[in-house]
Amino acid sequence: MSLGSKKSTGSFCGRTRREFLWEAGGGFTGVALAGLLGDDGFLNQQAVAADGESKFTNPLAPKEPHFTPKAKNVIFLFMYGGPSQIDTFDYKPTMYGMDNKTVDVKVFGRGGRRNQGRIVEPRWKFKQYGECGKWVSDLFPHLSTMVDDIAFIHSMTADSPIHGSAMLMMNSGSIISGSPCLGTWVNYGLGTVNQDLPGFVVMLDPRGGPISGPKNWTSGYMPAHYQATVMRSQGTPILNLNPPAGMTPKVQRKLLDALGKYNRQHEETRDFNSDLAARISSYELAYKMQSAAPEAVDLAQETAETHEMYGLDEKETSAVGRQCLLARRLIERGVRFIQIYSGGNHNDANWDAHGDLMHNHTMHAKETDKPITALLKDLKQRNMLDETLVVWGGEFGRQPVAEYAKGTGRDHNSYGFTMWMAGGGIKGGVSVGKTDELGSAAVEDRLHVRNLHATILQQMGMDPNRLSYFYGGLDRKLVGVEGADPIQKLMS
Amino acid sequence: MSFRFVFSSLLVLVSVSVVVPDLVAQDDNKTEPTEAQISFFNDEVLPILTKSCFKCHTGDNVKGKFHMDNRGALLAGGESGEAISVDSPEDSLLISAINYESFEMPPSGKLPQGQIDVLTKWVQMGAPFDPKAEKAVHQEDGPPQVNEETKSFWSYQKVTRPEIPKVKNKRWVSNAIDHFILAGLEDAKLKAPSSATKTAILRRAYYSLTGLPPSPEQVQAFLSDTDPNAWEKVIDELLASEHYGEHWGRHWLDLVRWAETNSYERDGNKPFIWRYRDYVIRSLNDDKPYNQFIMEQLAGDELDQVTADSITATGFYRLGTWQDEPVDRVQELYEDLDDIVRTTGEVFLGMTVGCARCHDHKLDPFPQADYYRFMSFFHGFNRDIGGSQVPIATPEDIQKQQAEITAHKAALEDLQNKIKVIEAIVIPDFQDVEKEEFKHEKHKIPLLKKRVPGKLSEEKFNEYVKLKEEEKKMLAFKPKAMSTAMAVKEIGRNAPETFVLIRGSAHARGDKVEPAFPSVLGFDAPELTPAPEGINSSGRRRVLAEWITSAENPLTARVIVNRLWQHHFGKGIVKSTSDFGFQGDRPTHPELLDFLASELMDGGWKLKSLHKQILMSSAFKMSSQSNAAGVKADPENKLIWRQEMRRLSAEEIRDTVLAVNGSLNPKMYGPSFYPLIPQEVKHGQSRPGAGWGNSSPEERARRGVYIFIKRSLPVPFIKAFDGADTDTTCPIRFTTTQPTQSLELMNGEFTNAQAKVFGNFLRENTDSLNEQVELALNRVFQRKPVEGEIQLGVDLVNTLKEENMDDIQALDYFCLVALNLNELLFLD
Repeated sequence: MSLGSKKSTGSFCGRTRREFLWEAGGGFTGVALAGLLGDDGFLNQQAVAADGESKFTNPLAPKEPHFTPKAKNVIFLFMYGGPSQIDTFDYKPTMYGMDNKTVDVKVFGRGGRRNQGRIVEPRWKFKQYGECGKWVSDLFPHLSTMVDDIAFIHSMTADSPIHGSAMLMMNSGSIISGSPCLGTWVNYGLGTVNQDLPGFVVMLDPRGGPISGPKNWTSGYMPAHYQATVMRSQGTPILNLNPPAGMTPKVQRKLLDALGKYNRQHEETRDFNSDLAARISSYELAYKMQSAAPEAVDLAQETAETHEMYGLDEKETSAVGRQCLLARRLIERGVRFIQIYSGGNHNDANWDAHGDLMHNHTMHAKETDKPITALLKDLKQRNMLDETLVVWGGEFGRQPVAEYAKGTGRDHNSYGFTMWMAGGGIKGGVSVGKTDELGSAAVEDRLHVRNLHATILQQMGMDPNRLSYFYGGLDRKLVGVEGADPIQKLMS
Repeated sequence: MSFRFVFSSLLVLVSVSVVVPDLVAQDDNKTEPTEAQISFFNDEVLPILTKSCFKCHTGDNVKGKFHMDNRGALLAGGESGEAISVDSPEDSLLISAINYESFEMPPSGKLPQGQIDVLTKWVQMGAPFDPKAEKAVHQEDGPPQVNEETKSFWSYQKVTRPEIPKVKNKRWVSNAIDHFILAGLEDAKLKAPSSATKTAILRRAYYSLTGLPPSPEQVQAFLSDTDPNAWEKVIDELLASEHYGEHWGRHWLDLVRWAETNSYERDGNKPFIWRYRDYVIRSLNDDKPYNQFIMEQLAGDELDQVTADSITATGFYRLGTWQDEPVDRVQELYEDLDDIVRTTGEVFLGMTVGCARCHDHKLDPFPQADYYRFMSFFHGFNRDIGGSQVPIATPEDIQKQQAEITAHKAALEDLQNKIKVIEAIVIPDFQDVEKEEFKHEKHKIPLLKKRVPGKLSEEKFNEYVKLKEEEKKMLAFKPKAMSTAMAVKEIGRNAPETFVLIRGSAHARGDKVEPAFPSVLGFDAPELTPAPEGINSSGRRRVLAEWITSAENPLTARVIVNRLWQHHFGKGIVKSTSDFGFQGDRPTHPELLDFLASELMDGGWKLKSLHKQILMSSAFKMSSQSNAAGVKADPENKLIWRQEMRRLSAEEIRDTVLAVNGSLNPKMYGPSFYPLIPQEVKHGQSRPGAGWGNSSPEERARRGVYIFIKRSLPVPFIKAFDGADTDTTCPIRFTTTQPTQSLELMNGEFTNAQAKVFGNFLRENTDSLNEQVELALNRVFQRKPVEGEIQLGVDLVNTLKEENMDDIQALDYFCLVALNLNELLFLD
């Protein structure tokens, strides 16, 4: 290249280029246009400057994907704490009868690295289900009826077997703090079709958030409109959504009208600055959200059968049931990316079964099995499953051996674990990858969290190796500078 | 991908058992492969390579720079060195990689043993290829090289003081800066820009220098000051104001990734790190020379004169994220060092050196080795954060503490002697069992009481009880702790050896390197001088800091004057203010940049005089209004024919709300305060509320720069208005417009509570609704409101009252509207 020349300068002259500059990487970057979605239309919509010069366009306006997407929405069911693969979907018949036997196996968890362990054989029986004959443990009497719609990935690997960094890995693709999350990337790449609702929604376990809290739904180095909105299925759904106590809708309307008058007077002599108009309309948008969000979360609009199906009437399943049902309602209304946490807080309040494996997994499976199955069935019967990518899994799996001298507790395991996907152009009834005969490490078709992320972006119509954001002198990608391939074997 | 389909039919031919023995004997690097070898390659080897290797190691974007397109490339190997050792094939990297003994190749899963055997045999043969299967290696455009051409890049040239350009319209010109601006405008046939109104420039100056609005009195004083030096007086006052350091300190904190916790699972606190924030504010208020400011932060512990201030300054190294539970402890040190390298490179030098960690920089002429040479200045860094508290007490403080301890000891002895005198009266009377009991503190008073009256008088006993109580208090005494600061430490006087780390992996060492500056800048390798005696560090950081602050360094002065310009004009002369490299923006006014840099260095690196020079220019006072001629000639306003409007930053909005309602607490320095965070936000933490303290309402009314910054729990108000990301350096803040901001300002706790305070403030000042509204708008706009604006507010209050609302509530709601106005949030 010639000295200091910039790639593609020609296509980004004038206003367009300038607008782009403000968006990409804190408004201070040079180029990196080649790696981005790369067309003027997209870049046009990225203006965020309030300098009175750049034309304001909503950065969350829907954008053209790279190619025709298979999926329009994602529901990521995050089994925080890490479910045990050999007790759920990764059938290891030879492990039965091996309980308490000492075995040579390389493991790495919170307790460090070890080369030997005491086997804790799977604590649940497996049976075959569906036309595909998938083996599923008794933990999931409901979900097992859906295996022909599900693709299982048994050979997942991640970079860390420690919650904090593993959570960051699963959510942002890196074990280092500070990168934007998957939902942020999706909204950055595609925008959102419903401006009255957030484009990236997170729902938390009533017992608390996951370790590192908001770090798991941060926009990192990207601007704040791409960060997740935490939504509650009960009470005020979104922070600050309700007017303060005592302020009636009529009063609020009067306040907004007066505010609008003042702001329009102010804008009159400054009409060159489109940010002022944008700010005026953002109050109206917020006002609309005040009615749109409560409408979306109003589950009373659903039939009694639906409530029953999602388990809203049972104590154990009602929390996840409400969230799953809400998720369906939100994607009906165009919310792009939804993440539901099963498990929060610490210890047995999530899937982190260091103590009593049976107690822990029985509880969490019970809480989620029926609602998640209902979600899949409901999406299917409404012809929405084809366009909705459902992802299930934790930040890692668990070891086949015991963590302590006594008991059934299993330590973390990032050498091999199971996740599954359904809908959104994913082939049903297939299983990809294998772990060794203990279920301790992936040995066949080994896949990384980056491959999972690549698959999600691919199904959403984006090339994971092209979707980039210029920051700190580098084209950043969710899948890392090295890139990653989507999992072709899952695609229908 | 197409390979797969082309060769998939070959897969059926794979048969691991057929190895003709005489093939193995061939061991000639140069001779043509035999036909038997060719067919072995085609039948046995190629299918495996095609299926498992070629996707990542042929064609475009090969991994690890290891090309397998032809035999020559294969033998040459990639980043990790030679792939096949012809002399000792068993030791070939390729063989260990497919056996998962070095790399794990292919990464998708280990090959079946049969295929490993085939490849092993093939390597033993010398890896013969079928010449027909060989392809040319795809040549990619390499990264920019260090050569005469790249060395001549503008920002790598030494700063030279430029000639001041001549201009026609001399009337418009206030100082030298204006010559540079106007010359560009006149070249483009643009008129000299008109000035903004007096109220607009006053407001602009207040926010630019202090981040706070002028009060109505300050506005009035300026408007009525007929002194020709009125403007200069204002600037001098603002630069002398302590709020200057708070505002510009916040800009600096953005750059150095300021936060008070470590992130990750526990997100632990960084004790006393607020002293670093205070150091920054004080340094700016004292107008500490910028070169000294750098020296202290980078090497404050290695200076000839180490002071409490210079130790505190090295808190710079501790501000980043810190993983307490790393997956890979060896690697983690390099993550920390990377954070330091990136931050140092971008903040002080405008160089994205960090991008050369894994490979040569793709966009700038920084070879990978340059990264490690630069990193080696910091390599002695001790990442142990637990041991990072360093005493910063003065000798006087220590002496005072010693005196206090001695005095306390003497007083206690005196007291205990008095106690013993009374005890001596009764002890002879004790039975054996009582003597045992008397050893325990809790029995002493009861045992004495038993002998009252009798052996012991009531009076003596009471005196005893009193003395014991006093003793208890005195035993609880702790001398006041000596101050410490979170500071840098090294592992000793010798830094470890530094190697290039292949692909950034701590476990893959390449060549050894020595500390040196980015080679494209053409400096000789530095002479390493040990740290002054008695200092337990390598002294290398001081060498680096001296280079950064030397007048010869082409970047340091340019980068900081550009940041000043950025905050006074909305964008830098080089818009990419932390990237002066090939991918950064070119300066719109290169001579002006060099002029300002020269002024800075010649003026002893003082920032305040430079601020003053900028604010005294006509350019600063330009109107932000657009006009057709300007838009036509220069739509991007590169030439600066007008000032740019800007929205206030998150902290400025918050501080402004507190300032206009009269409740801003000007208290400076010390531990940070905790704004209220709604319960539902805390619920997102794994332990809701953990690590978030309570502060009094007075504390919560302090300026935003004193907000406690917890990485895993950003304050929603600050986050909504684009507060700085804390995990990496933030040279420019975003300015987004989004409905969550409106929800925050209209419905949020902060503005609603502050609206009530504002209402009270107005009611205390006047009973007349008209005057209340006028006063409110005057404070919010920092100008006198016009009649229509007042009427609009009065009308609102009156219609609200029709809703059965009392006067107080109605006015408070008006105040809420006032705090939401665009004119409050945007500067002209």
